[in-house]
Order: sequence, then C-alpha cells, then structure tokens
Amino acid sequence: MTRTSENMPVFIMSGLLLIYGLIASSDALLPMMQYLHTHKTMDMQITMSLIIAVIGITGALINSFKKPGNSTFDRFFLQPLGGIILLLLLAMFIRWYAEPMVKIMSKALAPSFGFEVYKVLNLNYVILGLLVGVIVTNTIGIPKFAGPGVKCARFVLKMGVIMLGARYSFAELAKLGIYSVWLIGIFVLGTVFLVLWLGKIFKQPKTMTGVLAAGMGVCGVSATVAVAPVVKAKSEEMAYTIGTILSFGIICMFIFPTVGKMAGMNPVQFGAWAGTGILNSAQVAAAALAFNSVDIKTLKVAEIFNITRVLFLPIIVLVLATWFGKDSGQKLSFKTVVIDKFPIFILGFLLLFGLSSAGLFSPPQHYKGKYIDVSYSERSQVTDEERKVLGNALQEGELSGLNESQLTAVNDLYKQRQIAGNFDERDNKEAFAKTGRDRMTELESILAADKAKQISLDPEVKGAIAHAVKQVHKSSKTVTVLTDCMIWFFAFGLIGLGMQITKKAIFQAGGWPLVIGGISGIVKATLSFFVVLWLVKDVVLH
Amino acid sequence: MSDKKIIETGEAGKGQTVISGAANTEELEERALSVFNSERNEDLTALVLCLATTFIVLVFTKWLV
Repeated sequence: MTRTSENMPVFIMSGLLLIYGLIASSDALLPMMQYLHTHKTMDMQITMSLIIAVIGITGALINSFKKPGNSTFDRFFLQPLGGIILLLLLAMFIRWYAEPMVKIMSKALAPSFGFEVYKVLNLNYVILGLLVGVIVTNTIGIPKFAGPGVKCARFVLKMGVIMLGARYSFAELAKLGIYSVWLIGIFVLGTVFLVLWLGKIFKQPKTMTGVLAAGMGVCGVSATVAVAPVVKAKSEEMAYTIGTILSFGIICMFIFPTVGKMAGMNPVQFGAWAGTGILNSAQVAAAALAFNSVDIKTLKVAEIFNITRVLFLPIIVLVLATWFGKDSGQKLSFKTVVIDKFPIFILGFLLLFGLSSAGLFSPPQHYKGKYIDVSYSERSQVTDEERKVLGNALQEGELSGLNESQLTAVNDLYKQRQIAGNFDERDNKEAFAKTGRDRMTELESILAADKAKQISLDPEVKGAIAHAVKQVHKSSKTVTVLTDCMIWFFAFGLIGLGMQITKKAIFQAGGWPLVIGGISGIVKATLSFFVVLWLVKDVVLH
Repeated sequence: MSDKKIIETGEAGKGQTVISGAANTEELEERALSVFNSERNEDLTALVLCLATTFIVLVFTKWLV
C-alpha cells in the first residue's frame, strides 16, 4: 500500500518550487525581481528551487513506497525531509521577498516617519525568520509532516557559527594593537561576569543567564547560538537573548551619536565607543554613520572593535562552560572543561578562522572577504576616457581646492593609470603597499571633502577618482559564497528556532532578561564611554 | 515497579513522552529537540558538512577558475 497522501504536503511544496524555478528561468519574474532588487540572485533562485524540488519529489516518492524504518537514511533524510523543505521554502520567501519588501516599504514610509523602519528595528532575515517561526507555531502550529525536520534547526545554526569563522582574519585583529585588544577583552569579560552576577541577584535560571551573558558580552546572534548548548539554554531563552540585544541596540543607535557629539568625541573615539558599547554589527555601522557620514575612519574603527569581540567567542565559551559546570556541582578539571565540555563546533569556527587567517580563502589581510590590492594589474586601471578627464583637470588647474598631498595623489593616479605603489619599491612589498594605500587614502579624502561640500569637483573627475578607488577594493568570491552559505544556515535555523517557541514559554520567562540586559548594557556603555574618552587617543590603527 | 515521568517536548518534539523515572530528563528534553542522539554527533556532523561545503566552494570559486 502506498502512502502518497501522507506525503502530499512534500509533493505540493516541491511542485511549487519546480513551477517557481521554471517560471523564473523564463525571465517572466525579472521585472518583479528588479523592483525588489533581487535580480542579481536570479540564477541562484532558479538553481536552488529546481534542486530542492527534485530532492523533495524524489524523497516523497521513496517515502510513499518504502516502509518506514530506523536506518540513518530514514532518520536523517526521509523523516525530516518535509520539515526541511518547509523551512527552506520559508527561508527563500524571507530572503527573496519578505526582506526586500520590508526595505522598500520602509523607504517609502521614511518621509512620514522621519526614519527607515527596517534600519531602526533591524528587520533583516534574522528577526523576520524568528518572527515567522514564532507566528507559525503559535497560530496554525507546526504541521505534523514538518515535526522531525524542525528538529534540524539547532544543528543548522551550528553550521552557521562554524562558517562565521571564514569571514574574519587574524591580520585584522593585529591592526588594532595589543592595547585595544586588552580594552575589548576586559569589556567583553566584564559584561559576561556582570550579567552572571545580575542573574544571581534576580534569581534567574542559569540557562537564561548564561546565554544572555554571552549575547550581551560578545555580539548577539552568533554568540547566543554558540553558547546555548554549553549552558543547555532553551529555544525561548535564545530568542529572548536575541530580542534583548536588538532592543537595547535600537536605543543605543539613537543615543550614542547624540552623546558622542555633545561630549565632543573625535571620529576615532566615537568609533571605538560604538564598537564596544553597541552589540549588533548592523547597529554599530548605523550609529557610526549617524555620528559621522564623511570620515570613513569612524565606521572602520567601530567595525574593527566590533568584530574583535567575535574572536573572544571561544574564550567566553570556556568561561561559561566552567561556570555552568561548577554551578551544577560537577567536579571540574582542566580536561573536563577544555576537552569534554568545549563544543566541537566552536573548534570548527576556530579552524575556519585559522584557514581564513592563513589566506586560503582570500589574502590574509581581508575583512569579511574584502581587501585592498594596490599591486600592478590591468584590471585595476581606470579607463582611457577617465585618464583623459584627470589629465585635463590637472592641466587646466580645475583641482585648485585640493591640498598638496591630495594633488600629488591625483597626479600619481594619472601617471600610473591606477592606484599602486612606486615601481622602484616593488621588491619591498611593505613599502610598496604602504605607498599605494596612502595614495588611496588621499583620493578617498578628496571624495569625502566633495561629499561634505568643502570642495566642488567636476562630476567626471569625481567619477574617475571613485572608479580608481573602487578598482583596488577587491572582494574574494570564496568568502562571499561562504558568507552566503552562512546566511542561509542562519535563516533556516532561526525559523526552526522560532517554531520551538510557544506563547507559554515566552510568558514564563517574564521581563527579567530585559531588565538584566538593560542594566548590563547601560553599565557597559557608560564605562566604555569614560574609558574611551580617557584612553583612546586619535590613532589606534597601525 | 519503576517510576514513570512525563516530559514536555513541545510541538517540535511532538507533545509528551513517557520515560523511565531514572532517566536524565534534562538531557532527554534537549535531545527531543534534535535529530541527533548526542551533542557530540550533532557537532561532528555539522563540522564535517561545513568542511565539505568549504571544499566545494573552494573548488568552484578558487581552484577551478
């Protein structure tokens, strides 16, 4: 007897994906994709839809004719297949439709509200995924066919954390200098201990306090996912932590730039403060840009301070594993903590971070796959027309508003056709790269001055300089694809995580996590404000 | 006679399960929310799949282009 009717939902979902893939491959959806700004992902949309549809139909066919068993194939493929396809379908909908729609609507409503809702509430795939999961489970409930598949969510989230390691490199950390790394480390650990202490005072469960400590100390979603298995946190506790961090970040995004301006912080000081005090990287970037949209240094410093925290993740896992084990009354030796308790997937994160630092995915000095390449290359050159425009501007004295070093940089660009070091210095790689980078900085400062209306550049000259700067900013395809994998893993995992959160569980947790998160966040922001004002001078980057 | 315990495994764990009283309830609740038998298996599988993904990505974005 076949069990086709039981597998009907999988057939229907796979059929929908197949139809979607075929319609998309006929270019019929291109205008809509262009409207949603997702047209660049069209090939990916087609490939993913068709592959998942074929896998789904094949699995459903096997499930219809095969007797249910308990083999590895049954447990890890046939049984969870329905849930996996449902989560993938929802993840695709969120990434390709819901997230772009929210962005478009927020932009349209910006004149009435005075701000863009999606930026302020951070309505990206992380929050949308969690929300969709919570809504599904608390309204229609998890469909019966999807139950086993939803159980894959945490496993896939762990894959996301491992992939996160590929985005960073040790060279980026080395840029900060040991002094700043200490500063960040003290704040990260200080916040962790503060949250643990507050949790004890407010008599919160260890599982909740542990995961909140990691989230508040390090960087939000990834830290929460990484520490959850160590402190045995439940899904709703993870969701609460993510919610607390993001809500606190929203308030910081408004307050930080105002306070920074009132205190007369310089761009580097504000970057350091925002990077230390605000948790979510998107919110750090928003605050840095709100403080100073012209000087690129603010954003750069803020981002480096922010990512350095991620690299403390393994240390925090160790600290919390020791704390959790001790509080549970277990006898802990070094071996127990480091070997038995240390999650293997965090070792995976470290492994990918190591490979990334060694330059396997991108030149070692990359940051999120982006790096600056000032070596001689035809691909980095400006066009003949652009070179002509620059030559004319130099000859006719159109660049009178520039200072001497800026003018020299434009002259060098004209002579070399691209931003690069000196030919004579080509054997000394360090000096060559430094000269090239200095020239790039000067050219960037010209563009910034034009943006701030301090000088007025001819649009063609501006275009030529901007193109030259863009040409030396390279991006590693490997890291871009690995990052994309990470985003898909997180999107899939967070929808599944949301599906494990019931209304009852949310009300049981009460408002205490928000209180603890709020107190520790305010203490951290205030202390880091004074420390940064006192200790961080103008130049922290080497 | 052995004691029986009922653990709440939620929607994703398909409701309630009756288990032996001597069992480690916390561990079982945790496992009820995963397709894997142990944390170690889950982590190792995640690591192996990630390394495989990384290898495939490297082949198609770096080594073959």
